[in-house]
Amino acid sequence: MDLNDGDEDEFGFSRNYFLAKELGGSSRKSARKLSDINIVDEQELRAVSAGIVTKHENEITSLLKSYKSLYSKWVFELRCGFGLLMYGFGSKKVLLEDFASTALTDSGVVVINGYLQSINIKHAVITIAEVLKDQLKTKRRTPTGNISKVQQPFSSQSMDDLLTFLDGSDIDDNNCFVCLIIHNIDGPGLRDCESQHCLARIASCRHVRMVASIDNVNAPLLWNKKMIHTQFSWCWYHVPTFAPYKVEGIFFPLILASGGTAQSAKTASIVLQSLTPNAQSVFRVLGEHQLAHAEDEGMPVSSLYTICRERFLVSSQMTLNSHLTEFKDHELVKTRRNADGQDCLYIPIAPEVLEKLLQEIG
Amino acid sequence: MAPSAIPDSPSPPTVSDNEENNLQQFFVLHKALPRKSSRKVSGPGKTRRKIDLSPASPKSEGKSGANHVEEEDDCYYEQLRVEAFNAVWSEIETKIKDVLREINISAFDEVHRWVCECFSTIKSSGTPEAVRPYPLVTDINCKQIFTALVLTKNIEFVDDLLTFEELGLHLKSKGCHVANLSSLDFSAKNGIGGCLRSLLRQLVMVSLDAPDIAVLASWYSEQENYNNPSVVIIGDMERCSGSVLAEFILMLREWVVKIPIILVMGVATTIDAPRNLLPSNALKHLCPFKFSLGSPYERMDAIVEAVLLKTCFGFNVGHKVVFFLRNYFQRQDGTVTSFIKAFKIACAKHFSTEPLSFLCRDLLNDDSEGFWSEKCALLPEVMLKNAFSFPSCQRCKMTEGTSENLASGLFELKKLQKNWSSVVLCLHEVGKFQKMHLLDIVCEALDPATYNKNASDNHLGIGNGFSKSSPSDCCLHAGQYSGKSKGGIISQVVRRVRDLPVALLSQLLNIWRKHTKGISEIHDKVKELQSMLKFEDNGKSLKQDSKDTPKRPSSRGTMNMEDKKTVNEKSATLMEYMIVNYLQPIECIPFHEIICFKNVELLQSALIGDPRRTVQVDLLKSHNFLQCSCCSRSGNVLLPSMHDTSIMYTLAQEHGDLINLHDWFQSFKEILLGPSTKGKHKMKQSPLSKKRKDRDEPHDISEASIQARFCRAVTELQITGLLRMPSKRRPDYVQRVAFGL
Repeated sequence: MDLNDGDEDEFGFSRNYFLAKELGGSSRKSARKLSDINIVDEQELRAVSAGIVTKHENEITSLLKSYKSLYSKWVFELRCGFGLLMYGFGSKKVLLEDFASTALTDSGVVVINGYLQSINIKHAVITIAEVLKDQLKTKRRTPTGNISKVQQPFSSQSMDDLLTFLDGSDIDDNNCFVCLIIHNIDGPGLRDCESQHCLARIASCRHVRMVASIDNVNAPLLWNKKMIHTQFSWCWYHVPTFAPYKVEGIFFPLILASGGTAQSAKTASIVLQSLTPNAQSVFRVLGEHQLAHAEDEGMPVSSLYTICRERFLVSSQMTLNSHLTEFKDHELVKTRRNADGQDCLYIPIAPEVLEKLLQEIG
Repeated sequence: MAPSAIPDSPSPPTVSDNEENNLQQFFVLHKALPRKSSRKVSGPGKTRRKIDLSPASPKSEGKSGANHVEEEDDCYYEQLRVEAFNAVWSEIETKIKDVLREINISAFDEVHRWVCECFSTIKSSGTPEAVRPYPLVTDINCKQIFTALVLTKNIEFVDDLLTFEELGLHLKSKGCHVANLSSLDFSAKNGIGGCLRSLLRQLVMVSLDAPDIAVLASWYSEQENYNNPSVVIIGDMERCSGSVLAEFILMLREWVVKIPIILVMGVATTIDAPRNLLPSNALKHLCPFKFSLGSPYERMDAIVEAVLLKTCFGFNVGHKVVFFLRNYFQRQDGTVTSFIKAFKIACAKHFSTEPLSFLCRDLLNDDSEGFWSEKCALLPEVMLKNAFSFPSCQRCKMTEGTSENLASGLFELKKLQKNWSSVVLCLHEVGKFQKMHLLDIVCEALDPATYNKNASDNHLGIGNGFSKSSPSDCCLHAGQYSGKSKGGIISQVVRRVRDLPVALLSQLLNIWRKHTKGISEIHDKVKELQSMLKFEDNGKSLKQDSKDTPKRPSSRGTMNMEDKKTVNEKSATLMEYMIVNYLQPIECIPFHEIICFKNVELLQSALIGDPRRTVQVDLLKSHNFLQCSCCSRSGNVLLPSMHDTSIMYTLAQEHGDLINLHDWFQSFKEILLGPSTKGKHKMKQSPLSKKRKDRDEPHDISEASIQARFCRAVTELQITGLLRMPSKRRPDYVQRVAFGL
């Protein structure tokens, strides 16, 4: 009987899929353009979206409060050596940090913000190691010193050494651990295979306990069996909070604002990083000019050439042109005419983003 | 712990002042604070116990102190439970490791023997004289690389990690040089350098930036090294990069004179695997031999026997949980590792939810009833009350809640449990003839419904009794008994006993005799049967009958069929007797709650998160979680007061795989603006957008704020991964990712 249910499910799933496909066909006929909506100015949109009032604030608060009763169970499981994995709709940032600061007071807690674009795991591990070392020192009333004696500072140790320390078979107290909280372990900065392998190795260390949250419905695909069963050893908890993803969503472009022309800073920076230093410097010249003369149409090609030659960035018009072609291909640079009829180059990126971008390639 | 932590810490770092931390890659939330109670709890546990147990209960300490004491008590007992878990689990884990090693030991020995043979072949052809210049040997045989292909019979590699680690240790203990490599060392990214580096690290114990096999060769030529074979184990051969592995083999072959390496490769699929992976120029240098490891089912049976039957670890699982574990093993991936993980979670959940579970630890050790009454006398009254309010206790009307009763109850529990195990082991011995899996038998033997039915029927017609399946419980029983149509597994076993040929029967009785040592009544009967068999047999050779064939009329009339049948019949009756009287599932024994974990939902939710389904349910049924007064009465109608993202996702359900942003926005706007815009009615096909008069939602929402909320909701859906963003080709559409739950 239940077996049939499974079939039913599967059938339902495929039926849904084909129904959706069919519907897709019919709705395509009535294709409307996004531009038909009278989209308000991006600045305004951002300003308003920063001030959106959260619906059901009280209910969300009481939902969060209701999870407090689970805290002791969570601590228990951490002490048993499991990791906690929180999922469900809504930002779990507040929940996890509240849990850590109320229930995990007797161990150090390090937080990794996985929703950021890039994360240096090595640095985080160094910090964890330092916290653990501190913790060990205070636990032992009489510092025997055999830990700190021979050791070089953590910052100059290799990842393997750090992990060996965290796994610390020489530390006899098994109850001594540092808790590592990872918001969005499936976030953009941690999504790659290498980071996940690294996190898995950290999680399997004896003196580290991991508490992580996932938001993407496909997050479990990040891990293979070995990671799931022998390294992370998750206990899953479904804790929907319905709290707005305020911080987590900060780096996502607003769907109504990214009207085609605006190049997102991230792709631009990726392209630029792959170019030669000279090309980057040419871009910098252009960018600095644009920031300095925000009201201008752009920078005439001739003046760009002059400055680049002065700075020994290019030797001929040809080299400059090849750089420019590269920029244009990646839509980093566009041309338009100014009032004098000159062709001017400009970068189709908002000034504050451009500023950040120039800092990055600098 | 948590409740005590909140008042204790005067200034918990509040979350709001973390604003600037939000954009840090990472930060230290807080360092360990010295905890007041921790010293007391983990330190002088024994003295504490005396102090607060002597006045019998916290009551006498005065009302004001009572709460505090209770809290500390909780803390103390929680600590005990954590310790109990650690003790119990480490025992179980060690046992499992031992069992797995035992299963593999014969295969390991075989591999070792083969390694020695290979090595002597190599030696006899005189190659590994490192002093000789290269090339020297012309004998083609010696240029081959001896390769053991170990068939793992697993699809998933995760079980074999431990196996190959153990194999490495085993070979090392016999004096071989062993390097354990994995597919990660043979990745295309790191190339041949990667595997050489870990080879050098493991064999020569150096880590070089520019690894060179010459280093390895010179290491091997040292006096103390070249007398022993060097073995390289590659556990997951199929997952290696073929080109790197081929390069590695070619390199080994070039150096075969100076350092003859013997390869051991784990093969998950078929023996053809190397042929599919490697080019022929590498393949021709391999000289393969085949070995096999046990199947996952064999390993599973051994683990179940060790963990659930043979030893009492003080932790047990109920019928539904075993059923779930079995299905999880069979359907998930068939790896023992996942089973162990599930079992571990069950164990942890048990210790975290059952207040009395700290007693389990002592079940591990002590047997005497006296010990138990001592132990139970120390329990505070609350705990005793707890124990006697278990449903299992109330069922058998044990009203007097004294510590002696508890002690004897626990003692009895352990004894009955032992009897149960003995009977299951006996059943399994018969089941082995039919290749039954122990887990299936355990599943059925644990079913309280069957037992209760038998008990109430109080008859011996086991065949009927066992064909009845348990009250099915939704998804967990998805598997149903495999032998449902033919009657339960146990009744099959009994039937099988009736049909057993004499040789097998006497073999069986021998083993039964061993298993039933704990139950003297049965033990005696088994002995009786054995003597009957011997008497009848009268020294006749049993060999002729030893084939496992159904009885056929034999022309040798000396030992008549009737007599043989009686022994068979008697054995079967004995089996039935054992089943009825001793196969008492743990869930039918008073106080079993202390050691038995039954909450299968809890286990399932902790083990298998299902974010894909759950997150969608969260969104579609948000009011179930928020329980606000404004939206819960809506039924299926979307109200403007609902969570924005929830509205959006519900609306998205009406679209096909592509969602036109414009349409989506308009329908979202309509919902938000509520009934006032009723006239427009753009959405023809939407049954969901039926409007209803709603009172307090303001209608003067600005266009900007609607757009902003739309954007926010899209972003949130993007974070959950339920949407794919517009592409260049389709700038006005987003794509749905999930269809149906």
